[in-house]
Amino acid sequence: MNKFILFLFCIISAASSFGQKAIAKKKSFISVQFDHTANGKSIVLNDSTYTTAFGEKYKLSKLKYYISNLTFITGKKVKPNKNVSLINAAGDQTIKVEKPLLPTTGIEFWVGVDSILNCSGAQSGALDPLNDMFWTWNTGYVMFKLEGTADSSNADLQRLEQHIGGYKGEFKTMRKVFIPIDKKYFTDKKRGADKIVINVNLDNYWNGKNKIRISEQPMITTIGNAAKDAAENLEGMFSVKNTD
Amino acid sequence: MKLRVISYFFFFVISSLALMGAGKYLYAPTPIDFKIPPGFPKPPTNIFTKNKLTEEGFQLGKKLFYDGRLSKDGEVSCASCHQQFAAFATYDHDLSHGVNNSFSTRNAPALINLAWMKEWHWGGGINHLEVQPLFPLSAENEMGEKLDTVMIKIKKDSAYRRMFREAFGSGEISSERMLKALAQFTGSLVSADSKYDKVKRGEAKFILPEQKGYEIFKARCNTCHKEPLFTDNSYRNNGITLNRFKDVGRQGITLQNSDSLKFKVPTLRNSALTLPYMHDGRFTFLDKVLDHYTNLDTTLVNLDPALQKKIVLTFKEKQQLLLFLYTLTDTTFTKNKRFAP
Repeated sequence: MNKFILFLFCIISAASSFGQKAIAKKKSFISVQFDHTANGKSIVLNDSTYTTAFGEKYKLSKLKYYISNLTFITGKKVKPNKNVSLINAAGDQTIKVEKPLLPTTGIEFWVGVDSILNCSGAQSGALDPLNDMFWTWNTGYVMFKLEGTADSSNADLQRLEQHIGGYKGEFKTMRKVFIPIDKKYFTDKKRGADKIVINVNLDNYWNGKNKIRISEQPMITTIGNAAKDAAENLEGMFSVKNTD
Repeated sequence: MKLRVISYFFFFVISSLALMGAGKYLYAPTPIDFKIPPGFPKPPTNIFTKNKLTEEGFQLGKKLFYDGRLSKDGEVSCASCHQQFAAFATYDHDLSHGVNNSFSTRNAPALINLAWMKEWHWGGGINHLEVQPLFPLSAENEMGEKLDTVMIKIKKDSAYRRMFREAFGSGEISSERMLKALAQFTGSLVSADSKYDKVKRGEAKFILPEQKGYEIFKARCNTCHKEPLFTDNSYRNNGITLNRFKDVGRQGITLQNSDSLKFKVPTLRNSALTLPYMHDGRFTFLDKVLDHYTNLDTTLVNLDPALQKKIVLTFKEKQQLLLFLYTLTDTTFTKNKRFAP
């Protein structure tokens, strides 16, 4: 009899603890949205013509890249967000992350995915090879992919393909980005934003630390110096858009 | 009275739990213990840590391996170029046939003891066994198919839906699961029952010329073709010249000039069956390979240090070495019904 009561007690307490988990305190989330621009205009794929700083005209058909470990930097150390997202100008352009509860100095993320994920075999979600961001002959993810056409391209059909990848040694292409954010961005109730917009300025892809001329390198489809040089420009493309 | 109420309640709880359980599919795959043959080292990475080897996963991988639907024309399967009777190489073909009468540009490597490798392909471009199939599957001169089309084709097959459920717990067919199942099959292709292995285990004895050949092997070949895997899985320049495809081997992967014309050292296990030889199949028979080494110009630039000392073998010694190499043929492996369709 006593044993029965004890057993019952166990079941009830187990059940109630399950219930508590289900209604764990509600976290609030914020959407980080990536807006793509060139020449001061929003990018429209397969439509507008843009011009690089070196006067080379190009059109875009694809713009995809990985954003990983996106974290808000506060005074307190937080567990880094290990998620990986594939931002696609023709698809998903927002990442939902937990809203920081403390004043934030900035947002940090990697463009690309780390070497461990490049060596982890078959994966799903953003890292599914079906996303066409995977090199099959020299294993590794394409961190950043831009495709289109350009007048100055000497490639077949005036193709423009910038597949920036490589995760090992001197040919690493993933780049860490830190963007400062106004301290009050999240704490000030009037600006209690649930969205933050990151501007991704393609002009800086061509004209950054390195000067990239389409006529010289219309096709980058392997690891190497060209991909490494282009990767140096990735960081400078990202800034926080001054929105409401 | 109290007791009765409690027992009713207890009965109710138990029976409702049982009903909940019945609604779910019972997922119980049969685990397989991946056995390391006696004398073999531990694999450098355990490919089955995150991809649990199960009977259901292995069988699914085998079905995929032998399925032509993975190719554009429905005819070319993994097994077309990796034939069991040739120790999973392409028998008597320097290059292999792909879709639309195309040819590969490299000799199909034998799929032997892949679980002991850290990198795959002649240049070592593949860093994980699970992602290897993506290359032949999409290469235009191999299977020439798009991954998304393959997924559509196999999703239509109810046998696949059942096998994916049995192997992974739900009928969801994803590229990740497909590749994991294939790795369960290819990673299980272990060859360790040749006459050589039997001699090592004390179950057989070399005849005299085989024994003499083994001595020669140990003196001149064992550095690169290290026992018991008969490869150290390194990349070496063995003095073969640049071919018509301008295949620079390892250099194409690492972009380092010092890796020019380095290729992965292939295993000598079952080498009697994996003719022809080298990354482009340029040597038709094993004796031609031995001739290559004895005729080698040891002053070649970038030649592997292990080959810079001239290898001198008499005709008789070559015959003895060949007889030893024949003892590495493992018919338990090439006739194993478990690996057959």
